[in-house]
Parts: sequence; structure tokens; C-alpha cells
Amino acid sequence: MSQVRQYELIYIVPPDTTEEVLADVHQQIAVVAERFGATIEKTENWGRRRLAYEISRHREGVYVLELINGPGAMTAELDRRLRVLDAVMRHLIVRVDEELGVAERSLTRRKAAMGARRVRRGLPPEPTEAERHRRDTEREDDMDGGMESGFRGREDR
Amino acid sequence: MSGDFDKERGGGGRGGRSGDKDKKDEKGGGRRTFFRRRRVCKFCVEKIDYIGYKDVKLLAPFIPERGKIQPRRISGVCATHQRALQTAIKRARALALIPYTTD
Repeated sequence: MSQVRQYELIYIVPPDTTEEVLADVHQQIAVVAERFGATIEKTENWGRRRLAYEISRHREGVYVLELINGPGAMTAELDRRLRVLDAVMRHLIVRVDEELGVAERSLTRRKAAMGARRVRRGLPPEPTEAERHRRDTEREDDMDGGMESGFRGREDR
Repeated sequence: MSGDFDKERGGGGRGGRSGDKDKKDEKGGGRRTFFRRRRVCKFCVEKIDYIGYKDVKLLAPFIPERGKIQPRRISGVCATHQRALQTAIKRARALALIPYTTD
């Protein structure tokens, strides 16, 4: 029994990688995914980015993100394949459906709670444009204060 | 992590932290002394539900120059979000988005 889950796969290739090699890597991933009955939801190329530290004497790398819907057994195979590939400097597979689901649920819960509160006060459930604007400006002031004090805190440690 | 510290703070409410070393002023109920800052969890206040490892801008304020993860006793992040923040930072490090150390 295999459940379909959502995974994020990020891999980094050296900045001097040619388009063909990049396409080949993608193709290999697609083949593995297909074998497990998975679908690649989207592919995102972040382009060349500075690395925070050197990886095999490279200071820059090209980041590629793939969003894959597939079974858990697939990740092990992908992991194994990517480790063997010389073109890939580094990769990471993370399961995201759970975390994003939690985030979404708490967002809807909060919205519902806010709507209920507003109705109890005799207001429409959704805030009007004017209210939203006022709240945003207030929050900006608040954030400035918070940041300042945070900085002070670091110094007096 | 010291559990005692957390308990102590829980009782004090959300007021400023009365310094551990500072003498407590009984008149102010121990709250007023050395008001340092209002420490609130950034993620609770801004209602950020998902702390993603790809969002370097979001994580950056919690990584001081040295590259270590800022303890929540300094940043004021709540336990739930500190945990999420921790995994996000560690993932970002693995991908060289954030340094492990800087010297």
C-alpha cells in the first residue's frame, strides 16, 4: 500500500553545468518518479546563487526545486540516485504535505475564529478595506519597536 | 535546556523579563524591574504558520553573525515556533543557503 505524498526535492549543480546535463538530471529524476507512479507537479530553477560555504571548491551553484507527488519508497531511490550522480553537488528531499497542511488548517481555523468574533460584535465577517489598511500601518509601527529592542538585547548579553 | 527557567517565566506573564541577576523590586510585583523589552514571538504576532527553509529572509534575523541559532531566551520566540525554526535553519544550512559557521 503506498500513499501519495508530496515531496520537495532541491538539488544544487555546479554553475558551469551545461543545459544538457541539467536536462539529463531532470530526466533521470522523472524516470524514477514515473516508475513509482509519481508525478512532478512543478520544476523551479532558481538559477545561479551564491553558496553560504564552499561545496567541493565551488562558491556558487545552480539550485533546482522539484515538487513531486509520490510514494515514500520513491524518496529512497531518488536519494540513492542523486548521491551517485556527479553532476549534483548536493540534494535534499523533504516531505511537505504535512507541514503545509497544518499551516493551512491553522489559517482557516484562525479565519473562522476571527469571522465568528466579528459577527458577535455585529460586524461583517471579513474586514473592510479601510480596516485592513489601518491595521497594517499599526503593525508596521509595532515591528519597528520590536526590532530595535531585539538589537539592544543582543548587545547587553 | 533548563526546564526551571521556562516555568519561572510562565508565571511572570508576558511582561518584560526581570533579570535573573538583578535584585527584584517587590513593589512592582517583580515585573517592573529592569524592563528590557517586550519579548513576543515574531511568528505568533505575524501569524506565520509555515516556517520554510527556503525563505532565507525569514530566517536571517535568528542567525547572529557567528551563524549559531539564536536561543529563544534572547529572541523571544515561543517553543513551538522555535522548534520549527530550528529544523528550517538546519535544512537551509544543508543546502548552503545559510552558513554553518562564520569566523
